Amino acid sequence: MKKKHILISAIICFGSFFSSCSDYLNVERYFSDRQDLDRIFSSRDYTEQWLANAYYQLLSFNLEIGHVRFTLTNYSDDMIFTEGGAGVSFSNYKFGAYGPQYGGNVGALISRPWDQSYEGIRQASIFLQNVRPGPEITEEMYTDLKGQAYFIRAYLYWLLLRKYGPIPILPDEGLDYETSYSELSLPRNTYDECVEYISEQMLLAANHLADTRSTRDASRPTKGAALSVRAKVYLYGASPLMNGNAEMADFVDDQGRPLISQQYDEEKWAKAAAAALDVIKLNKYELYTAPKRLSGGLWGAYPRTIDPPYHPVYSEKTFKEGGWSDIDPLDSYRALFNGDLYVSENPELIFSRGDNQLNDEYGIQSMTRHQMPVNKGGGWNCHGITGKQADAYAMIDGKPFDRNTSPKGFTEHDGQYPYLRKDVWLEYANREPRFYASVAFSGANWSNTTARDAQNRDFQTFYYYGEDDGRKIVSTDDRWIPTGIGMMKYVNPKESYKDGTVFPKVDPAIRYADILLMYAEALNELTSSYQIQSWDNSETYTISRDVAVMKASVLPVRLRAGLPNYDEIGVGDPYNNPEEFRVHLKRERQIEFLGENQRYYDLRRWKDAPVEESQMIYGCNTTVPKEYREYFYEQVVVPSVQTSWSMRKYFWPVSYDELRRNARLTQAPGWPSFD
Amino acid sequence: MKNYILTILCLVIYTMGAFAQQTTVRVSGTVVDEKGEPLIGATIVVKEKPGLGVATNIDGEYSMTLESFQYLQFSYLGFETQEHLIKDQDMVLDVVLEESHATELDEVTITGMGPQKKVTVTGAITTVDVGTLSTPVSSISNALAGNVAGVLAMQRSGQPGSNTSEFWIRGISTFGGSSSALILVDGFERGMDELNIEDIESFSVLKDASATAIYGSRGANGVILINTKRGSDGKVSVTGKSEYTWTTRTSTPKFVDGLTYASMANEARVSRNQRPVYTDQELMMIDEQLDPDIYPNVDWMNLLLKDGAPTYRSSVSVRGGGSRARYYLSGSFLDEGGMYNVDRTMKEYDTNANYQRYNYRLNIDMNVTESTLIQVGIGGALEKTNHAGASSDHIWNSVFGYNPITMPVMYSNGYVPVIQGEESEMLENRYNPWTVATQTGYAEIWQNTINSNITLQQDLHFITKGLKFIGRFGYDTYNYNYIQRRKNPEMWRAERQRNSDGEVVFNRLVPERLLEQFSNAFGDRKEFFEAELSYGTDIGNHNIASVVKYTHDNYINTSSYGGNIMEGIARRHQGVAGNLSYGYLNRYLLNFNFGYNGSENFAKGHQFGFFPAYSAAWNIAEENFVRDNVDWLSMLKLRYSYGEVGTDNSSSRFPYLAEFGNYDRSTGAGSQAVSYNWGDLNSSFAYNGLTYTRVSSNNVTWEVARKHDVGVDMYLFGDKFGLTVDYFSEARDGIYMVRSFLPDMVGIQGQNPSANVGSVETKGFDGNFKLDHRVGEVGLQLRGNFTYSKNEITEADEMVNRYPYLRRTGFRVDQAKGLVALGLFEDYEDIRNSPRQDFGDARDVMPGDIKYKDINGDGIVNNDDIVPIGSTTRPNLIYGLGLSANWKGFDFNVHFQGAGKSNFFINGFTVYPFVDGEWGNILQDMADSNRWILGENEDPQAEYPRLSYGGNSNNYRASTYWLRDGTYLRLKTLEMGYTLPKKFTTRFFFESVRFHVIGQNLLTFSPFKLWDPEMGSSNGMRYPLGKTVTCGVTVNI
Repeated sequence: MKKKHILISAIICFGSFFSSCSDYLNVERYFSDRQDLDRIFSSRDYTEQWLANAYYQLLSFNLEIGHVRFTLTNYSDDMIFTEGGAGVSFSNYKFGAYGPQYGGNVGALISRPWDQSYEGIRQASIFLQNVRPGPEITEEMYTDLKGQAYFIRAYLYWLLLRKYGPIPILPDEGLDYETSYSELSLPRNTYDECVEYISEQMLLAANHLADTRSTRDASRPTKGAALSVRAKVYLYGASPLMNGNAEMADFVDDQGRPLISQQYDEEKWAKAAAAALDVIKLNKYELYTAPKRLSGGLWGAYPRTIDPPYHPVYSEKTFKEGGWSDIDPLDSYRALFNGDLYVSENPELIFSRGDNQLNDEYGIQSMTRHQMPVNKGGGWNCHGITGKQADAYAMIDGKPFDRNTSPKGFTEHDGQYPYLRKDVWLEYANREPRFYASVAFSGANWSNTTARDAQNRDFQTFYYYGEDDGRKIVSTDDRWIPTGIGMMKYVNPKESYKDGTVFPKVDPAIRYADILLMYAEALNELTSSYQIQSWDNSETYTISRDVAVMKASVLPVRLRAGLPNYDEIGVGDPYNNPEEFRVHLKRERQIEFLGENQRYYDLRRWKDAPVEESQMIYGCNTTVPKEYREYFYEQVVVPSVQTSWSMRKYFWPVSYDELRRNARLTQAPGWPSFD
Repeated sequence: MKNYILTILCLVIYTMGAFAQQTTVRVSGTVVDEKGEPLIGATIVVKEKPGLGVATNIDGEYSMTLESFQYLQFSYLGFETQEHLIKDQDMVLDVVLEESHATELDEVTITGMGPQKKVTVTGAITTVDVGTLSTPVSSISNALAGNVAGVLAMQRSGQPGSNTSEFWIRGISTFGGSSSALILVDGFERGMDELNIEDIESFSVLKDASATAIYGSRGANGVILINTKRGSDGKVSVTGKSEYTWTTRTSTPKFVDGLTYASMANEARVSRNQRPVYTDQELMMIDEQLDPDIYPNVDWMNLLLKDGAPTYRSSVSVRGGGSRARYYLSGSFLDEGGMYNVDRTMKEYDTNANYQRYNYRLNIDMNVTESTLIQVGIGGALEKTNHAGASSDHIWNSVFGYNPITMPVMYSNGYVPVIQGEESEMLENRYNPWTVATQTGYAEIWQNTINSNITLQQDLHFITKGLKFIGRFGYDTYNYNYIQRRKNPEMWRAERQRNSDGEVVFNRLVPERLLEQFSNAFGDRKEFFEAELSYGTDIGNHNIASVVKYTHDNYINTSSYGGNIMEGIARRHQGVAGNLSYGYLNRYLLNFNFGYNGSENFAKGHQFGFFPAYSAAWNIAEENFVRDNVDWLSMLKLRYSYGEVGTDNSSSRFPYLAEFGNYDRSTGAGSQAVSYNWGDLNSSFAYNGLTYTRVSSNNVTWEVARKHDVGVDMYLFGDKFGLTVDYFSEARDGIYMVRSFLPDMVGIQGQNPSANVGSVETKGFDGNFKLDHRVGEVGLQLRGNFTYSKNEITEADEMVNRYPYLRRTGFRVDQAKGLVALGLFEDYEDIRNSPRQDFGDARDVMPGDIKYKDINGDGIVNNDDIVPIGSTTRPNLIYGLGLSANWKGFDFNVHFQGAGKSNFFINGFTVYPFVDGEWGNILQDMADSNRWILGENEDPQAEYPRLSYGGNSNNYRASTYWLRDGTYLRLKTLEMGYTLPKKFTTRFFFESVRFHVIGQNLLTFSPFKLWDPEMGSSNGMRYPLGKTVTCGVTVNI
């Protein structure tokens, strides 16, 4: 009997062991207090953090303006850089070799914008799938957060589209990384599909987003931002490169479907115009103007306002009334870029990355440092602008600059001409205010008023051979500008990298001036009238080439710069001739948006790049020393920064690795595929 | 645990009463063998009364009293048991026991279900005669290659403490997680290397799915079953063994002398149009040894290494017990010496590579009741490894790196020389060999293993006959302590020119470093529980058996894991396995096995996997028509098995869990915390970023192997000839991999997810044969075995590739890849007419440099021309052939072992002369070989290309030119033994005494001569494998 007892007790003993075995493999108790999606989207802080990661993808390689290593597209036929080899790297880039000579690596340059955008897209998609109202997130916040995620996702697609051309649009819920590689292979969508997708997403965003932002939320998008991007995307879709472009017939997906429309469709322009009008009709934005300054000298950090030549209308009216009587054109323009204006102080700024530019490695600050003179400014003195760009700026009366008729010689004393000091080449005198805000010509004054050492304030920089900031005997020294023309835009007159303060700056990613010019540009292309619904279907626009509308649209941009409209400068009436108007508008954009990552893409979408980007680059003759300074200003071909054009430069290539991983992806025209 | 102990105690006390007995009859007599020799310690018990028994004394006599009308059983190890009926009167009963002739048919195979007659086995199992495995080496793993069919093995190093072999059952069939076999010692997952070889009773290798199914997921890569010795009824038997081994090296690389080195260095420079390194005057000084401080001539290898090193090994075991309780107790000691020379002035500590190990084991079996058996086992090992302060790799790197003339051992003023002295730890290995080996302090490693297990076997015949319950519980701990006490002297280098006063100019390159200590520790704990219910019965000619088994195990790393939650969680498995077998007259055998296994590492829903296995066998020899007609055929069995096995070998833990954090893929501008400020300038409203740092891989689950096995077992001529051959094929699917090639478009930040995506197919065959023959008094046995296995990756996580040969898919796991060399360029004309070789500057290529094949025909030889060449470093074929003979007391055993189908690249400064300039010595073999010499030997087929100084990007690339054949055949074991005649030994109260001499690795035949090919080393910079001679004695009392 005893045996049995033992046995039974043993069996019971094992039995109890078995029962405790049922959760032997259960490890959930270790992980129950860990982070998970549910927890993240229940908490306001975590939710915002999740979104912050998506926003973060707008930085580094997705910046509009920054160090050349990240924003190569900011350098078209207007700006140049030398990052090693006295401009060799610039030439290499212009010849289509996106090589590692910019200090980063070539793989990163080509693939990181791609990766980064898609990473942000996934991040935003997950956000959209999970964000929900709750105790910490009110319905109102929820709606706005959702709008932001829609915006960021569509904006990243836009950045991709602009750079790489038609790209694969992923399903809204994101790709399932657990399926097979073949299922994860997606072909490119057509350009038009991309445009429609982004537009539709931006409408969603606009329906969710707030109208205005407080100082604390200055860098979040608004309704206006979403509509602006939509307008821009439509404009690109309507432009010659994408609209019935037979040259792109061989840009196809893996099934042979053309990705760029082969049929010209004028209505696309009408849609673009209507989308721009949507933004204008918000009545929320206006161009920034700085008040007229009556104190101060003729040159220096903040000189007295120089009135534009008298105009019977504009000189009598305030800016609000349609004149320039109460504004300072120089300040009005440059304050947009140089950090004098914060995001929320600028009524023109529609979207900006705001404060997230301060990184010395890649932000705008890094770029301005490359523009500053070396010795007295503490900069790197290696980014400049081309002779073509410098010549594009009009005279103070709005007439085009003409080298043949321009007086030669040098200024004799400080303040002889507006903004100019002594010894400045007279071709630089009497130019339009935006010239002085943008160009650091030889002899320009660098105010640098926060520099501690008086020597480093209010100094002139000359780019003659052998000067501090000119070309050196040792030609391998990169601290000189091959065109002999520096860049002033974005530089704050107060700042100094040498021994002063550096001012944070906001990036003008989308500003109202752009919308106005886009509107005029789109209208100019129309030959008939179109009925287009407004974004919220509240009204139906009748869109046609209405000269009055075009004039009204262009005028504020001109007035703010202290210039009369195109038909008032004595070169005829371009408004009556679409061809002529187009030339003027392109010139306007070239000047207004210098260094804002616009011209590179503008030239491409207009199909002007094959001409403009293959022209030889001219500049001052940097081999001329001070003694023969008048010869310095003779425009010569700058051998170290040259350029060429090939088809491949329309769109960026996709990295080999990505092509190998996504078998259905096709390479952009002109670029070799891995096989 | 407490319950167990209590139960056992109760049982022990309870059984005491059973010893009371009545006396009615007295029996006495002697027990002798056929030759009349008395058998000492033969066991005489009353049948079915365990515990009632005596043993014979030294003269073979016994006497006992017992109840009348009982059967007395006479048994002795190695003899047939006899039974005699005792009637009701006292009697003298002399018994002659006959030696047992166990036939192969009775041979027992240890399977996952326990011992099973070989004739009824349907799976592919190799049972190894432990006698043939016994070697003087410290680890049994070194004895597997060529001895065990189905095992591929290679030994990579000869350093004491790490001179164990890596092995794979039927080769490698995965590239995901681990490919190593499950080793079970007494049913518990334990290491094999620290086991005392003398303690091993049986050794089986389970190879196919049906054999390993019962182990579920753990058995996917094959299972090795080791049972340790247990006590036995009868007289106490004490066995002692003592061995002394002298270890030398199978191959010691030889280097050139100073003058040859200097001349070749000059040749290397001159033949590339550079200035020579040494002037004629310097060459003379080297030759004449005029200035040993600046131009010495040192044989570093000789300086570093002794001729050999001793190893001492001894073990004692005691075995005994009665029918109620039996025990096996053993202890052993091993002391392996290192081969480095030591600095005799240093007495406080030893810098040599020594290894010491103490083992103990206690196995107790207790029949608590007639139907209850409790087995307790405790074993342990204590290991101590010693080596110089710098690691062994450093020593070998430096002994191969120092050329004979750059440095003396010590400058004449007592300064310690060094060739290069950056402070960086990485360059420690550029200290000179003598410094590294003796002046860098020392390191000690202590390892401590304790294994304990308890088993309860309960016969449940009172419920139904044939039903049995077994419960096992095991608990192992291991800890590892490492202490390194590092130092180094001040080190100098003399300039090559004396100063104007004729004095040597010294530069101090390395400052003195006083003794510093570094230490770390590691430990783990394993728990194992198993409950098994088995049932077996015969119904007429039908035999049915089944087993159901529940197991769970738990492994936890007990070292510090810091903040890593996942590492702090025990690794666990849980499973139910079962077996159902049916046999008809040992003729038709069917077997079904299954494993239902769970792992904690997978997501709920993916945790469990069901893995069935089926096998069948047809024993043709048992068929009547065969048995009646073919009498020489003792057994002919055809086997087939198919099964699935899963494994949870995944390198990462809990892949289904996502992790979140602030992640920044480097922006190219340096890593930084991800944050975004929505506030305006000077109005911060910033949030840090949050995203997946690891996404969850929800579907990750078992890697599944589908295994087929077809086998034949055959015995002919009354078991004189035995042969087993198996063909196997395995398809391993769902190999766990990180998905590295997701398009970036997917947008994953952080770690890529994992999935079960890889597939490998493995095919091969293995087999062994045995031939016994007796010629007069000489018994001969010839045996051999072979294993061949080849795998092919059928699916791997890969991108699209332009050239199929650049992919992994379609080739072996670890396939060697390189350029195809076409010999050396004959002349410049040849270079001009050949495709451009795009490594470094194509214009630097000269006649005598290696010419490669342009595989893709694009006119350029570059990395796109790299193709699979040769096979893998690990051999795909291992074979062994042994012959043993015995005559009277003498026995003789010779065993050859070989490996084939293996290739490896040689590279590094050992074989690329002067690739690092003055760093790197020149092998004598290289200097003597048919090498390309400008103007002297411009043979385009030369073994070494045109010399170069300071590297050559064209020649020194992985290519067929540097691919070497790793096949070898070696005389693995040569053993001679003599057992003293029993008559003689019994006089000294010895049961048996045997003297033996064993030689190991005495001869090696290989096309590769530079170092031992088995090491698979690309540069030979490892502690060489040992060639040993052992003398020993085994005594049995």
